Amino acid sequence: MKEVLNSIRRTPYQSLASFLILFFALFLTIFVFYLTSFFSSILSYVETRPQVIAYFDVDATEKNILELKKNIEKSGKSSEVVYISQDKALKIYKELNSDNPLLLEMVSANILPASLEVYATKPEYLAEISKFLDDEQIVEEVSFQENIVDRLLTLTTILRRGALFLSGFLVLISIVVLMTTTAFKIALKKDEIDLMQLLGATTFYVRKPFLVEGMIFGFVSASVAFGVFYLLYALMFPFLSSYLTGIPSLSFYSLDSYGLSVFPPSIFFIVLSYLFTVIFGITIGLIGNYLSTSKYIR
Amino acid sequence: MAMITFDAVSKKYPTGVVALDDVSFQIDDNEFVFLVGASGAGKTTILRLLLKQMEPTSGSIFIDKVDITAKGFKDSTLVRRNIGIVFQDFKILHDKDIFENVALSLQVTGAKEATIKSKVEEVLDLVGLSEKKRMFPLQLSAGELQRVAIARAIIGDRGIILADEPTGNLDPKTTWEIMKIFKKLDGQKTLLIATHNADIVNSFKKRVITVKDGKVQSDRRGGTYEL
Repeated sequence: MKEVLNSIRRTPYQSLASFLILFFALFLTIFVFYLTSFFSSILSYVETRPQVIAYFDVDATEKNILELKKNIEKSGKSSEVVYISQDKALKIYKELNSDNPLLLEMVSANILPASLEVYATKPEYLAEISKFLDDEQIVEEVSFQENIVDRLLTLTTILRRGALFLSGFLVLISIVVLMTTTAFKIALKKDEIDLMQLLGATTFYVRKPFLVEGMIFGFVSASVAFGVFYLLYALMFPFLSSYLTGIPSLSFYSLDSYGLSVFPPSIFFIVLSYLFTVIFGITIGLIGNYLSTSKYIR
Repeated sequence: MAMITFDAVSKKYPTGVVALDDVSFQIDDNEFVFLVGASGAGKTTILRLLLKQMEPTSGSIFIDKVDITAKGFKDSTLVRRNIGIVFQDFKILHDKDIFENVALSLQVTGAKEATIKSKVEEVLDLVGLSEKKRMFPLQLSAGELQRVAIARAIIGDRGIILADEPTGNLDPKTTWEIMKIFKKLDGQKTLLIATHNADIVNSFKKRVITVKDGKVQSDRRGGTYEL
């Protein structure tokens, strides 16, 4: 450890360059990881919401509505059709507004319309189902989320690919910079390395301080990058909260049962993503310095 | 045991220069030998071959009956851990103090800290530098630096000591001080000292191997410096 600290002290600018490039690469990796997790979580959330909702005239009979429900189910284009009666609608309304007695007093089951919530088997059926419902006389209004799922899916895919490319590119740059700075440090210690080898040091013994140095850079850069990211996340949290009003929580790839909540971030998710970042940082540091020492220390 | 055998060793560099041509000799365990010859005669090549810094073009080199030039023998580390080397330019690390410079020789072999501490103290006492163990190389004279190099070479269980012009950069008085240390090691380690210093060779009356143009010109016990 003393050797490593001496090496960092002796080459401050090279060490700073290694730290900064690793910090930048890891910060961006964390950022894109959270962003893709976030969008994937929103996508998962939206997929659980009804995609087409048909609101009926208050005088539409339950029989007619159920007949329409059957017709939609028979088409094979819906995965689920849920009937919400006026009474059930009132119950839901009461639950949603339980903290506002004034709103509860003003509403009765008679003025709330019954509705059908339709989940399509494929996003492209949404428009067709929507039109079919709209053409029915007993339907007063159709709420159709357009192809938001499809758009989110496209966005998430583009984001994931872009993130992967950008992170890969930055990781590559980090490795090259680490290789270069380590090569410089090896050149500075050439006399000492030659002497150690003449005295009978194994190649691994000579390489070890450089490998440890790479791992330390990876660890420190990852920890600082993670700390800075979470500081910014904490600052942005109120804005995100107001933007995502109504969404109780977003789970990481539907893994809520494991406590992997992206929004608001659970302790388990924070710890896991920190560990992931640190392992990733250490691996990059190790690879960069391993390649450099393999080339210059034989 | 640290017996050295050169058996018909030749070394031809890629440039075409023949550094050694069919060289054969044997040095017994704990023998004191001077290797003399003009510059470019092949002295340093012999030392570098022993350290496995290069391989001979033909012939074999044995250390304790192990052929270190055999095709299957790749481990230069094992060979080097049995050899201590003293250079003309000392090769002392300037960012380490004297204790650390000497300790390096044992650290690279994976020795324990307690062992390193006691052995370094012991060897610094032998070369008369105990009082200066926490000083840095820039605070020492050339003679003292060479004593540090000798301490680094002889520490531990290194059976062979190679010295390449160990007094080449020293004044006559310091030269004799250094040679006194080597004399102390006579009979304890196998010593092969490459030198140009005729006075030293003549006064020690030890075995002298003279090389000229890559060949062994003479090999005499109790010999003198003759070129």
